[in-house]
Amino acid sequence: MWYYALRRILLAVPIALGVSVICFALVYLAPGDPLQSLIPAEAKPEDVEQIRRLYGFDKPVPVQYLIWLKRAVSGDLGVSLQTARPVLLEVMNALSNTIIISAGAVLVAFTLAFVMGTVAAYHIGRPADRFVTSAAVIGVSIPNYWLGIVLVIIFAVKLGVLPATGMGSKGSTSFSLLDWEQAKYAILPMLTMTLVPLGIIMRTTRSAVADALNQDFVEMLRAKGLGPAAVLRHAIRNALPQVLTVMGLQFGYLVGGSILVETIFTWPGTGFLMSKAILTRDVPLLQGAVLILALNFVAINLLVDLVQTAIDPRIKRT
Amino acid sequence: MFGFEKAHPLRVAGIALAIGISTIAAGSARAETVLRIAMTAADIPDWRGQPDQGFEGNRFVANSLYDPLISWDLSSSDKEVIVRPALANKWSVDPSDTKKWVFELRDDVKFHDGCAWNADAAVWNFERLLSDKHPAFAAFNFARARARTNNIERIEKIDDYKIAIYTKIPESLFYYNMPFLFMLSKCALDKAGNDYNVYAKAPVGSGPYKFASVVLHERLELIKNADYWDKKRIPKHDRVVLLPMPEVTTRVAALLSGQVDFIEAPSPDTIPALNSAGMTIVTNVYPHTWPYLLNNARGPFKDLKVRQAANYAMNRSEMVGLLPGVAVPSNGIFIPTQRWYGKPFQYAYDPKKATALLKEAGCYPCEISIAISTSGSGQMQPLPMNELVKEQLEAVGFKVKFATLDWNSLIDIYFKGQSTFPYDGVNFSSGATDPLSFVKSTMTAYKSPIGSNWGWYSNPEVDELGNAVLSSFDPTVQDELITKIHEAVVRGARNLMIVSDLNPRAMSPKVKGFVQAQSWFQDITQIYIADK
Amino acid sequence: MSNVGIAAAAPEIANNLSRPVVRGYWKSVGHRLRYDYVTLFFLSIILVIALLAVLAPLLAPFDPTKTSMINRMKPIGYRDFMLGTDELGRDMLSRLLWGGRVSLMMGLVPVFLATIIGGFMGVVAGFVGGYVNMAVMRTMDIFYAFPSVLLAIAISGTLGGGTVNGLLALTLVFIPAMCRVAESATTQVRNLDFVEAARASGAGTLSLILHHVLGNVLGPVFIYASSLISVSVLLASGLSFLGLGVEPPTPDWGLMLSTLRSGIYVQPLVCALPGVVIFITSLSFNLVSDGLRRAMDVKA
Repeated sequence: MWYYALRRILLAVPIALGVSVICFALVYLAPGDPLQSLIPAEAKPEDVEQIRRLYGFDKPVPVQYLIWLKRAVSGDLGVSLQTARPVLLEVMNALSNTIIISAGAVLVAFTLAFVMGTVAAYHIGRPADRFVTSAAVIGVSIPNYWLGIVLVIIFAVKLGVLPATGMGSKGSTSFSLLDWEQAKYAILPMLTMTLVPLGIIMRTTRSAVADALNQDFVEMLRAKGLGPAAVLRHAIRNALPQVLTVMGLQFGYLVGGSILVETIFTWPGTGFLMSKAILTRDVPLLQGAVLILALNFVAINLLVDLVQTAIDPRIKRT
Repeated sequence: MFGFEKAHPLRVAGIALAIGISTIAAGSARAETVLRIAMTAADIPDWRGQPDQGFEGNRFVANSLYDPLISWDLSSSDKEVIVRPALANKWSVDPSDTKKWVFELRDDVKFHDGCAWNADAAVWNFERLLSDKHPAFAAFNFARARARTNNIERIEKIDDYKIAIYTKIPESLFYYNMPFLFMLSKCALDKAGNDYNVYAKAPVGSGPYKFASVVLHERLELIKNADYWDKKRIPKHDRVVLLPMPEVTTRVAALLSGQVDFIEAPSPDTIPALNSAGMTIVTNVYPHTWPYLLNNARGPFKDLKVRQAANYAMNRSEMVGLLPGVAVPSNGIFIPTQRWYGKPFQYAYDPKKATALLKEAGCYPCEISIAISTSGSGQMQPLPMNELVKEQLEAVGFKVKFATLDWNSLIDIYFKGQSTFPYDGVNFSSGATDPLSFVKSTMTAYKSPIGSNWGWYSNPEVDELGNAVLSSFDPTVQDELITKIHEAVVRGARNLMIVSDLNPRAMSPKVKGFVQAQSWFQDITQIYIADK
Repeated sequence: MSNVGIAAAAPEIANNLSRPVVRGYWKSVGHRLRYDYVTLFFLSIILVIALLAVLAPLLAPFDPTKTSMINRMKPIGYRDFMLGTDELGRDMLSRLLWGGRVSLMMGLVPVFLATIIGGFMGVVAGFVGGYVNMAVMRTMDIFYAFPSVLLAIAISGTLGGGTVNGLLALTLVFIPAMCRVAESATTQVRNLDFVEAARASGAGTLSLILHHVLGNVLGPVFIYASSLISVSVLLASGLSFLGLGVEPPTPDWGLMLSTLRSGIYVQPLVCALPGVVIFITSLSFNLVSDGLRRAMDVKA
């Protein structure tokens, strides 16, 4: 197991490097002079020269990449063109906000989906199963940003029970999960994000539990005289690793893909930050955000793999 | 009672109770009144001096924290807005040296931190905007102020409350630059070691509001300055919260759900819903146009015929139909209620003529690229409006391609000019807020980035008129000449003139006392929150 | 909006290819499908949507880009506008029909291209093995390391938006997944006995690929691709919603959702229409893909 873990961790390193190459290349994808996109609005010619030297634009591209990488590794991801604040700081601040709703969404989704999926697997083929499966498919087919708008109209405007926008009555610094007045700002964004993980986790649970219920050992347990509840417990335990894997991955997807929901709700997370960076052509910020989110996803993938192998060593991954 | 008799315990208790109750009552009667405003800006305007995010930055942030030497009289909604004294009581040009302007400063003003306002403070403020050798120089302040300071040669202190500003060339309308230059507290910058990032945590001005707190990208909170020198403009509420909300549906939802009290620019489609929810909608004319600033220096619009074709292609009443109640057709740079409007040529809707002109000019189909924004102060509802303009232009033979950017980026494009950003046109809402910037924007000498002539419009006749305006110190002559310039520029189709905004704002019925001036700038200090 | 279980499903599907292709397999698939009414029903919905999109020029009552200020934001059934009008007075029905072409194209083309490119790469990598396999698959891993929404937005955001850039971005997003599925399936099959047998009997490499490997790989690849279509439709509409995909005035469902947003207070039903259509399309592709998976006996 440890050997596998070590191998897996080592494998993540070249992937992370590859991710960094792609992020670095983004600047060159952008139309126009890459240097132009890195210079703040009112830079004087001397400043431009300084930035040119700092980024190494006078050197060949691979060398530029290494310079960029060296600075990135030491935490210097450059400075946002719009606010002149360090990119790393901006992104990490925003990331914590995104994690709040992403984690919340995944936990809610997991709770609901696991229960519903297990029910469906237990009653496979019968109406309960059909209902659950339909709900899952519907969940993954709705454009969630549209749902977000609808939820705002219903709950904020018409019913007036939840806020329409923002993260806390005094902004994100006042946000607290323990205080309903603040926490309620997270409800609608979280619900909007729950939809897709709900469907996927439900599907995975159903499949995994149904699988487990079909295994030989189940017959053996029944023969031993175990009641249906106990059998189900065993099946669930078998299914759990797979479901947890999917849950972890969904969390990663949500964190990386939160841009639409955050734009609707003006939730100050990384997605919102990125949408502003795109519109303001703030390339350092966009680059930094993409890098951090992608690396974050690599880390989650790694973690999920390790956890799954730890729980169920039978699962072999190439 | 004040004798030395022993106080009866019950009596003491009764008095204590009475005092207690009245204190509590007084305390709750004095619960803080908060005005929450949702702006169209995508981020909080810079509060460290010269603002960004366009005039919304001036409107809500700079004019709240700071004062300029001269400001706008925003107290009435039915007259043209003119300048009024602010930190300067009087100003005049020296008749013997028309390059010397003498400003007499107020002597009863203190900054929020107690720092004194006097000639030294004024000189310090101007010099930090002019010279990069100045210890409190900052590139961002310099760049944003440049259009207003580029004619300043030097400042001199005459006495403790009098300064002289020397211009490089005589400019009769020079004082119109003053409302855009904000005076910071030297003591605060000294305390911050002249580091604006430190200063940002505790900015100090002399304005009607003091800085309270900020959550980056989310909200800026200001509290009232009860010791404000202008007793008529001490805020009638305790605190104002400024929230950037570029999404119009989010702004409207926030108002309808009670999350904010006051929103900028609701879209016309949401106004009926706002009305039926009991919200107050206010509109007013103001010196605003929603045009395309055209590139007169290169590309298809270099040819007068092509510019005229674009103007003839505009079905302005159709555009007004898209924005019921919040727009009127625009046929000039000024608006008809301004004294310099004159009788400009009207480009009536004539698509056939437009196509004929394009063919004559040899540009058919005529490909153009236009920079637009997704929101922003004065930009109204840019996306649907631009779609309509595109359709109208393409109906006569143009082929339009948009570059969609954020408002701040568009402002950057505006400042740097067509030489750095050679788009064929920029959808930049403009207002001839002051005649000086209007005149300069028509003159060759003030091509951006030096001045505000974005598209490098160049007409020798207009240049002559402009020079005459700037060197004539007779207001009647000035007005005549400015009107002539306006008519010439409209005839020359410098801009693609489309519509003017009626500046809609929506607020909760509890918000009272707001007087909407005919201006880009508004005075929010007189707003009070009623109980119902 | 996130990836619909791509990571979870890919190795799962391929690993669960539980039996080699034998004659009569496809017959039994067809047989199973014939009695799966739900799948058949939604398959017909897809066909109807596709048909409507293809025939849009003939069916649309109005020019989808013709604006009319007097007729803006009209409700369903107003005069000749069967489904009302949008914020610029354009007929919703016509825009939905024409928009179907764009939206379906944005859904199908990236998946199609990704299947061909990614599939090819995967089969080659799986068949050849060794260093080639490692090089290809590790490169795919790197792209796989990006959540799909993020990658799509990053690519089209830096390229500057637009339909072509959107297509490009989406294709790039799906290639790694298709490659993985194809590679996994190919590796599985390559090691099966009957392939050894065929090789022993002297079959050339090309005929091996064509007859034996491809036949087995096509199944999982096809199923997986079909499940990606709904993701692609949703992702494309999301890009347009953000202003990074299709540009106005081209009708596109995602773009329509975005521009109709502020009309919600005036004509909520009309403004909800593009969302409903996206939902039905996405749902149909999802269900059909599920049905195919069941019929082809790969674990759901």
